[in-house]
This record gives sequence, structure tokens and C-alpha cells, in this order.
Amino acid sequence: MSNEGRAPRMRSSVSRMAAASGMEWLKSVKGVILDMCGVLYDSGEGGGQAIPGSIEAVKRLMDSGLTVRFCTNETQSTREQFVQKLRVMGFDISVSHVFSPAPALVRILRERRLRPHLLVHDGLMAEFEGVDTSSPNCVVIGDAAEKFSYQNLNEAFRVLIGQEKPLLFSLGRGRYYKETDGLKLDVGVFMTALEYAGDVQAEVVGKPAADFFGTVLKDMSLQPHEVVMIGDDLVNDVGGAQSCGMKGIQVRTGKYRPSDEQHASVRADAYMDDLAAAAHAILTSSPTTER
Amino acid sequence: MSLRSLKAVLVDLSGTLHVEDAAVPGAQEALTRLRQSPVAVKFVTNTTKECKRTLFERLRRLNFDLQEREIFTSLTAARNLLEQSAVRPLLLVEDSAREDFTGIETSDPNAVVIGLAPDHFNYQTLNKAFRLVLDGAPLIAIHKARYYKRKDGLALGPGPFVAGLEYATDTRATVVGKPEKAFFLEALRDLDCSPEEAVMIGDDARDDVAGAQNAGMLGILVKTGKYRAGDEGKIDPPPHLTCDSFPDAVNHILDHLLGSKQSEN
Repeated sequence: MSNEGRAPRMRSSVSRMAAASGMEWLKSVKGVILDMCGVLYDSGEGGGQAIPGSIEAVKRLMDSGLTVRFCTNETQSTREQFVQKLRVMGFDISVSHVFSPAPALVRILRERRLRPHLLVHDGLMAEFEGVDTSSPNCVVIGDAAEKFSYQNLNEAFRVLIGQEKPLLFSLGRGRYYKETDGLKLDVGVFMTALEYAGDVQAEVVGKPAADFFGTVLKDMSLQPHEVVMIGDDLVNDVGGAQSCGMKGIQVRTGKYRPSDEQHASVRADAYMDDLAAAAHAILTSSPTTER
Repeated sequence: MSLRSLKAVLVDLSGTLHVEDAAVPGAQEALTRLRQSPVAVKFVTNTTKECKRTLFERLRRLNFDLQEREIFTSLTAARNLLEQSAVRPLLLVEDSAREDFTGIETSDPNAVVIGLAPDHFNYQTLNKAFRLVLDGAPLIAIHKARYYKRKDGLALGPGPFVAGLEYATDTRATVVGKPEKAFFLEALRDLDCSPEEAVMIGDDARDDVAGAQNAGMLGILVKTGKYRAGDEGKIDPPPHLTCDSFPDAVNHILDHLLGSKQSEN
């Protein structure tokens, strides 16, 4: 309640500070990694809707000569279906520029010859085609949403506790995300529940894991300090990117809450009203791009 | 052995007085002897699904001499906290536990009470609880056990769901059950007795004995119920006493913890 009341004053003062000083780093930006849900669009009924100005902002960034990649912890559908959904909304994005946790995890499962018990959304199952799930020796959880029932969590727990060394993989570790009808619990909550129940520490695949960002940076052929991550999740997008040596901008869309700007441990390099504002700030600063 | 002026004995139920549907041998008679000494007796337990009446009726069927009002559970503790803080809870407890919350206003909730409620632990209800807590509603946990044993195997306890909501909202739940210090203090509240004047008897080294001793009481560990060899070595400080079963604990109390001998046994 009191937070809401303070928000407008705090917001404008931070913007002024950001504009006045400390933004020199924008000039050395050569690449941009964009979070998707909450930055490009708000999810919800019928797939969701584009955030005003974001379609044009993505186009301007890509046309500018900056290297642009997309990094999502989306695990309710396959990467192909997900990109298709965004194309329908009007975003011109190709699958090869989108990085999501499931394909990365499938590589890990193959390398380590693991057979997962899958607690993931039905829409994601196709990513695991050909993966051996018989007599499972590890548990994989993604954003299973309605499938997070007591029964299904209990099944996953029993697989974990039945292992000599329980192994839990989590596709991201988000706390919550925003849909058009309100905030929803994300996979990190159920990861934490299973960690507590089985006394294990999950291996996180996806943001904010350094390996995941590392794969994206490699694909961009850029150094971390040349890249800025733009996201609505302060801890996973901004904090995760900063831990890898990148800059992080939090946009005030999606799951953003005013209290994020007073977070105890993570401070964004800049807070911007939305992707359009962030793109404008980058494009008017960076020497490699349009002026 | 220092002589305390012992005023109260707290006794755990499942695993201490009875194991499932059978009384611990000699426990009824030991309880009767304990009652003949000048100490108050209370029965304390962590439960998320059984109301006091159900517990009372089970113990009466097993011929234990007690009153329903002498039972203090984690649900009672939650109820007391709700009344003290005058909040309206979203109750995530099984229907069988709701009786203990009779009369508590639950419309337009501004608090969340989370017990073990497999029927309620679905995505939609957890989201509802999450949004309330994110908006500032206190999160009250009946207890935080990781899992429990069911006939068909191990099953998740309330703890994982509490931990998940804590993570989602970046807050800490107020846990009201054992082994929280507040639980033991609340159990003694109407007995006019300080923790130093009380002893706790139970089969769970951590929840019963360590919890009680952390609150300033003496703790006696009995080797029935969930006790496993070596449990007494897992807590620091160790139990005041580890003995075979409830009757031995009563003997110890009557022989050593009361100012004068009450029993020839």
C-alpha cells in the first residue's frame, strides 16, 4: 500500500538521475539481449498481447546493426511454437536467435546420459522427443502451471527421494510472472518446494545461470561488457546478466514492481519505462548505430 | 540432579502415548500416576489435519484419562495467533481441521494459514495465497515438516509449500508448531508456569526435545514411535533424559524432578 504511494516520486527521480549521469556505458553497447515475456508482450488469454511500442523497438534495434538475441525462460511451449506466437503478434524474430532452457537441458541430459522424470507443461513435451524417460534417475521441472498439483509434485518428490544422489533440474528459477489476469507463480517456487522436501539443490538451466548466458554471448561473438540485457525480472534478467559481466536494464513493464528499485542486493544499471524507451536510449548513445 | 519446582508436564501424543491405534504399553496407568502428582499435564502435538475433538476421541478410546481442553496443537497455536493479530485468514487446511477454526472470520482474507491440504494445494489456490502475501498478508505456517509417511509411501508435508511461498514473496512465514519456541510458551500460557518449571516428553528429538529445551524446558526423549537409534546424539544440548518409553519418563519425573517423592515405583 505505502509502496504504491511512494512510487511516482521515486520513479521520476531515478529517471532524472539516470539521464543526468552514469550512462556513459551505453556508448560501448554492441549487442542487446532481450527478455521476451513482460518486455515484448504480456502473456495471457489467447497467447497475450504486444506491449505498445515494442514491435517497432525490436525492429529498430535489429536494423541498427546491433547484434540482437532473445533469451527467454518460457517453458510452456516449444521454441518453434513460441516464436510463431510472437510472429503472429507482429514481431519479426527467427527461431535461431531465440534461446530457451529446454533445448539446453536436452543437450545436458544427453551428455550425462540421464533419464528424466518430467514435470513440465504439456506444450513443452515435444522438446523432449527421443529422450529416454524410462526408470527415471533425475527430475526436470519447468513452468507446468496447472500441472503443479499436489499429486504431480509428490510424484516428482518420490523420484527424487528414491535416488541415492537426488538430481533436480529446473528450467529457470523465476518467482512469478504476470499474465493479463494477474501475477502467477513461476517454476522457481516449485523448485524451492522440491529442494526443501528432498534436501537437494537444483541445477538451474536458463536465466540466471551463467552457462545459459554464456551460450548466448558465444553465439553473438561479443564480450560480456559489450552487451546489455533488457528484462522485467530484476533478479533473473538484470542480476543474472550483471553476474556475467553484462549491463542490465530493467523495464517498468511486465512483472516490474516499484519496490524492485529498492532491492537489497540487485541494482539495475538503468530503469526505463518500457522497451521503446530503452531502445531509444541505446540507439541515441551507441556510435555503431543510427543517430 | 537439581530439584526444580516442577509445575507442568507437556506430553506428545502420536509415538509417545500411542503408536497408530495401539497405546504404548503401560502408558495409561503411567498417565494416571502422573496426574496424582501436583503437576499440570498438557498434551501437545503437531497436526495439520486433525482437530482437537478427533485427537481427544482417539485417546479416550485408548483409555487415556484426559480432557479435550488439555490438548494443545499447532492448529490451536495458529488460531490463537489469528485471534491475537485480529486477521481474517485464507485457510489452506483440510476440512477435517476446520473445526478448530470455528468462529474465525474468513471472508475477504488478509492473512494466509498454510497446513497440509493436498486438496487445496493446486496452482489456482497457491496463486491466490501468493497474491495475498505479496500484498502484505502475513503467512502463518502450521508447521514446516518436509514429508511424512503415508500407507502408500512418503508424501510431501506442508514445509515444501511454505518454502515455495516464502521464495515467491521473499518473506518468512511465522511457524506456529513445534519446534518453535513460541509454541511451547503458548502451551504453558494458561498454566501460570515458566519454561524452567516444565518438562516435555516426546519421541522426536528435534521437534519435541530440542524445541522444548530451546524454550528453557527440560526434554525427555522416549524410544518409541519415530525414534531411531542414535537420535539423542543428533541434538545439542542432548536430551535431559533418554528412556525406553512414556512410563519410564513418568517414573523419572516422579522420582527425580519433584521436590518430594510422590511414588514408590
